Amino acid sequence: MGEQLEKTPLNKVHHELKARMMDFAGWDLPVWYTSILEEHKTVRSAAGIFDVSDMGRVWVSGKKAGVFLDRVLTRRVSKLEIGLSELCLLCLEDGGVLDDLWAYRLTADRYLIVWNAAHIEEKLAWLRRWAGSDPDIVIQDRSAATAMVAVQGPAVCRLQNLKGVCQLPRFGHSQTTIENMEVFASRTGYTGEDGFEIIAEVANARQLWESFTKQGVKPCGLGARDSLRLEAGMMLCGQDMDKTTNPFEADLGWLVEIDSGDFVGKSALLEIKRRGIRRKLVGFRMTGQGQGIARSGYKIARSGREVGQVTSGGYAPTLNANIGFGYVPIELARIGTKIDIMIRNKPVPAEVVHKQFYKRGG
Amino acid sequence: MTPKDYKFTSEHEWIYAESGSKGKVGLADYAQSKLGDIVFLDLPTPGTQVTQGKKMGEVESVKAVSDIFSPASGKVLEVNQTVVAEPKLVNEDPYGAGWLVRVELSKPSELNKLMDNARYDEFVAELTEKQSE
Repeated sequence: MGEQLEKTPLNKVHHELKARMMDFAGWDLPVWYTSILEEHKTVRSAAGIFDVSDMGRVWVSGKKAGVFLDRVLTRRVSKLEIGLSELCLLCLEDGGVLDDLWAYRLTADRYLIVWNAAHIEEKLAWLRRWAGSDPDIVIQDRSAATAMVAVQGPAVCRLQNLKGVCQLPRFGHSQTTIENMEVFASRTGYTGEDGFEIIAEVANARQLWESFTKQGVKPCGLGARDSLRLEAGMMLCGQDMDKTTNPFEADLGWLVEIDSGDFVGKSALLEIKRRGIRRKLVGFRMTGQGQGIARSGYKIARSGREVGQVTSGGYAPTLNANIGFGYVPIELARIGTKIDIMIRNKPVPAEVVHKQFYKRGG
Repeated sequence: MTPKDYKFTSEHEWIYAESGSKGKVGLADYAQSKLGDIVFLDLPTPGTQVTQGKKMGEVESVKAVSDIFSPASGKVLEVNQTVVAEPKLVNEDPYGAGWLVRVELSKPSELNKLMDNARYDEFVAELTEKQSE
C-alpha cells in the first residue's frame, strides 16, 4: 500500500500531523488526526477543517453550458441564480445514479461542478459523450491543479479569514481573498453545520490550510466526515446509492425536476415513478442499546426474514446512539416500523426514524 | 513502556497472572491506538470456557470491528462491567482500568508461549518500522 495511491496537495501536511491514513477511493487520506470522536464534537461545537481535495472540480463554460448541464443533470441549473449553487444528480439513461454533485453558477455561461472522488474518469467520459464536439461547451477538469478544504462548524464566522464571506447566503459563493490568496468560497458542506468549502490553487494549499489551523481550527479526517454526514442525514454516493439504484428509492426524488425540460434518464425515471418503487432507503436507530453497531453491508431482517441491507451505519456521537441508513421494502419504510439489524448473526432491534438524525439548532 | 510481568499475544492482547491460577486479560496499547475510539465491547459471560488463541469476543471502535483472542485457556470468572459501560477506558488506560475479563487458568504453563514485555516492545517496534517503510 502507499505507492499507487493518489496524494492530495495536503498529503505532506497530514503525514507531518501524524494522521492515521487510509485508502479512500484510491486516495491516501487521513481517517483521523487525534480521535474521530474529538474531531466530530469539535465540528458540532466549534470549527474543524477537512482536506476534501479528493473530490473532483470541473468547470463547464460556453454559450451552451447551461443547456448542456440541464440535459445531463436532474435539475435545471440554468435557472439557478448567479452566485448560488445546488445539489444535483447525474443519472444514467436507465435512471441509475452515476453520482451526486454540487453545481455552482459562476456567470451566465460558466458553472463549476464538484463531484465525488470515485469514478472520475468514467464521469468525465460521460459528460464529454453528451457534450460531443460542440465548441460552445467547454469542459475543463482542474482537479489536479487545485486543492479544496471544508471549514465547518458553528464558529466559522468568528474566524478572521472568513469575515469577507460571512454575508454569503446558504449555498452562496464568491471569489475572495484569504491572506492575499485568490480563492473560491461557497457556503456549503457535508456535516450539517454552518461552514464553507474553499478552492485554491495547488501552490497555496498549505498556506490556506495553515491560515485556519493557526487560528485553532482542528484538522478532521474521513472518520468524522462520515459520522457527521450520517448524523445530518446526508448520503454517500457509491455506498447509499449507485448505478443500480434509482433516485426515488434512494429518497432523492427531491433532486429530480421531472416536470421540466428533457434530460438524460427522464423517460426511465417517469416510468419508475409511474410504476412506483418497491424498496426505499430509510434511516434507522438501534433500540437495542449495547448490542453493537450497524455497519455497511449488514442485513436487515423482520420476523426472522431477511428484508434488506444496511448501506451506512455507525455510532452517532451527538446522539449517543447507533444509527444508519438501509434499504427496506416500501411497506416497512414508515417511521416507527420495527426492524432488526443482523449483527454477527444476532437480530438487534431498531426502529425506522426520520433520516435527518441531527438538525442544527434543533 | 508496557508494564512488567504482563504477557502478550501477537494479536495484542495481554494477560497478567495475579496468582498462580488467575489472570486478568486486556488489550495492549498498540491495539487501542490502531482501533481509535472504542465504543463497544462484546465479551464472554462468566462461566464461559475460553481457549488460548481462539476468539473470545469483539471490540468495536467508531471505525472498525476487531476480534479479541484469548491469551490463555480457562473459565471466565468476571467481566469488567465498568469497561463494558464505558469502553473508552480501553483507550485511556489499556493496562489498568481498561482490563476486560478475569480468567481461571486451566493450563497456567501456556503463558510461557506468550511474549514478555521486552520481547513485545521489540515486536511492536518492528511492526511500526514496517508500516513506515
